[in-house]
Amino acid sequence: MLLAYRTALASPRIRAAAIESTEFPTLADAMDVWAVPRIVVNGVPQWDGAVPERVFLDRVLAPGFE
Amino acid sequence: MAIFRSDEEAKVRELFAALERPVELVVAHGPEETPLPGARDIDFGAETQRIAEELAALGDAVTVRVEDEPADAGIRFERYPAVAVLPAGEDVGIRYYGLPWGYELASLVGAVLEAGRRTSSLAAESLDRLAGLDRDLAIDVFVTPT
Repeated sequence: MLLAYRTALASPRIRAAAIESTEFPTLADAMDVWAVPRIVVNGVPQWDGAVPERVFLDRVLAPGFE
Repeated sequence: MAIFRSDEEAKVRELFAALERPVELVVAHGPEETPLPGARDIDFGAETQRIAEELAALGDAVTVRVEDEPADAGIRFERYPAVAVLPAGEDVGIRYYGLPWGYELASLVGAVLEAGRRTSSLAAESLDRLAGLDRDLAIDVFVTPT
């Protein structure tokens, strides 16, 4: 979670939100949340679990998140 | 009930005392999704506000503002309850949606600590890569309190 917050602090083009799954079950279902943390970028589910900083950036900066 | 054990509270006070710039927590109330069975006795909005206020009480640099009409607050919220974490009064898009309880309290404390830094804790290489970002990204991290 903190990596996402750090990227939002570092870039004006990024916003980062933690979403408590059990409190928003409809949205969590729509995002197929089975395991946490589940990372969703621009409304598209991406991966589950914590990853190192470099890998996190590799993934969120990958082409395709228009 | 206090949100921290006394030893944890002392540690958080120490960390908040070292903040390099002010951090504002904006608690937003609005229509909430129907909670799951078994959670109906919890007032998520009230508890979220209580946690934010108790956090703000642990450091002079941390303040809290409550918005009952968030549409007028000039800060966009997508669901409620919500907490926006504003470094030096600026909205940079940091949100916590839901009640930050249990394990996730650490995420909110972490957000305050990160927002209170004048320099990023990311690696220089990461900052270079982010500087080249040419599109908007909305990163949502789904979490649970346990």
